[in-house]
Formats: sequence, C-alpha cells, structure tokens
Amino acid sequence: MTLAHYLAVAALLFLVGLFGALTRRNIIGILMSIELMFNAANLNLAAFDRFLHPGGVAGQTLALFTITVAAAEVVVGLALLLAIYRGAGTVYVEDYNLLKG
Amino acid sequence: MLEAIVFWSLAGLVLLSALAVVTLRNTVHSSLFLGLSLAGVAGLFASLGADFLFAAQIMVYVSGIAVLILFAVMLLGRASDLHLRQVNDLWPTALLVCVVAGAGLFKVAAFFEGIVALEPPAPGTRAIGRLMLGDCLLPFELVSLALLAALIGAVFFCRSGGEENP
Repeated sequence: MTLAHYLAVAALLFLVGLFGALTRRNIIGILMSIELMFNAANLNLAAFDRFLHPGGVAGQTLALFTITVAAAEVVVGLALLLAIYRGAGTVYVEDYNLLKG
Repeated sequence: MLEAIVFWSLAGLVLLSALAVVTLRNTVHSSLFLGLSLAGVAGLFASLGADFLFAAQIMVYVSGIAVLILFAVMLLGRASDLHLRQVNDLWPTALLVCVVAGAGLFKVAAFFEGIVALEPPAPGTRAIGRLMLGDCLLPFELVSLALLAALIGAVFFCRSGGEENP
C-alpha cells in the first residue's frame, strides 16, 4: 500500500464529511459529519508519519492533540445544543433564527 | 497481500459507514454507523503502525464521543423526525463543492503516488511520551487547560439553561 492510497481514503472520508456538514438539516448530523472530517485529518497525519518520516512520532502526537481538541469541541457542542433545544424546541438548523433582526 | 486485504476491507468499511452516517434518515442509525466508521479509522491507524493512536482512537472516539452523540440523539429526537426529510434543498450545490474540493485533494494525493514504507512499523508509545514531556510540553499543558475549559463550559451551559427556563 502506498501513501497515495491512504491519502485517497482520507480525502474521500473528508469529502463525505463535508457533504454531510453542508446538507444535513439535523444539527446532530452536522456534528457527526464534523467528527468524520476530524478523523480524515488524523488519518493523513498518521499516514505522513509512517511513509515520509519512518520512526518519527511528530504526526501521531499532533493527531493526539487533534483528538483531544475534538473531544472538547464535541462536549461543548452537545451542551450548547441541549441548551438551544430547550429554548427553540427543534433540532433543525433552518429554524435557528434567534439572531435574526 | 495480507496488508492489501486489511487495507481495502477497512477502507470500504470506513467509507460505506461514513456514507450511511450522512445519508440515513434515522439519526440513531446514523450515530451507530458513526461508531462503526470511527472503529474502522482505528483499524487503519493499526495498519499504519500507530499503536498508541489506535488505542486513543478506541478510547476517546468509539467509546467516548460516539456514545455521547448517541445519548444526545436519544435526548433530542422525536418520533416524527423519522418521516421528515433530513437533507436540505441545496444538496446539488454541496455535491458540486465536494466534487471541486475532491479534484484538488486527489491532485495532491496523486503527487505522493508510489511512496512505500521501507521499514516495518515500530512501537511509538515511548517516543510519543518523551516528545509530549519534552518538545511539546507547552501544547500538552495548554490542551489540558482546554479540556478544563470544555468541562466547565459544558456544566455552565447545561445548568444556566435549566434554571432560567421555567
């Protein structure tokens, strides 16, 4: 397996996540699509580490930081989402117009 | 040969379950497929020889984030959601954006065509630990601060919303 194979899988995973983030109406679906995009980036980091820098771990360490930030993001995102759902009573993003003048 | 079988089966698992995540109408099914897709990415990490990343992916994503999202889906969903369209009207435009972005990404990926790994993968946990407490000490401490801020933020948002609404 060459580096290009792993990059292609990561690119496809990123595109699927991008499509989901652009088209889902449900806000939890958008959060899930964002998680897919994070994973595509992590896969790229680990693949570059393995193929271009054998024996090095800088990419894996950066991927670990990404995982940590993604975990923090999803925790705060879900808490915000529950708070918004209490106020708005819906999970569909086109109904979130609290800031509309 | 074995590496190719592992790679293609894991890649198929990851991509098909990711497609199921973004296209299925039932959000509970979507979140279950999200767990499957994340587990497949963990398998790809293992095939890349990133052992610590594999363990971290299983612990944080599959057993943490996927379960958390499943809880949120069960708290927020309604039965009537199953009959509603889950995709907005602009999906052809989004598909166009994805095709254009994909053309660029595959051009970059084709640039790295033919690069193979020369040595077998070696365990990297010890080196990661040394790097985190050596050169990466400042980001390591900052990310713990970010986790603390996320914890307090989650508690704050859930609590204040509950008290203000009668």
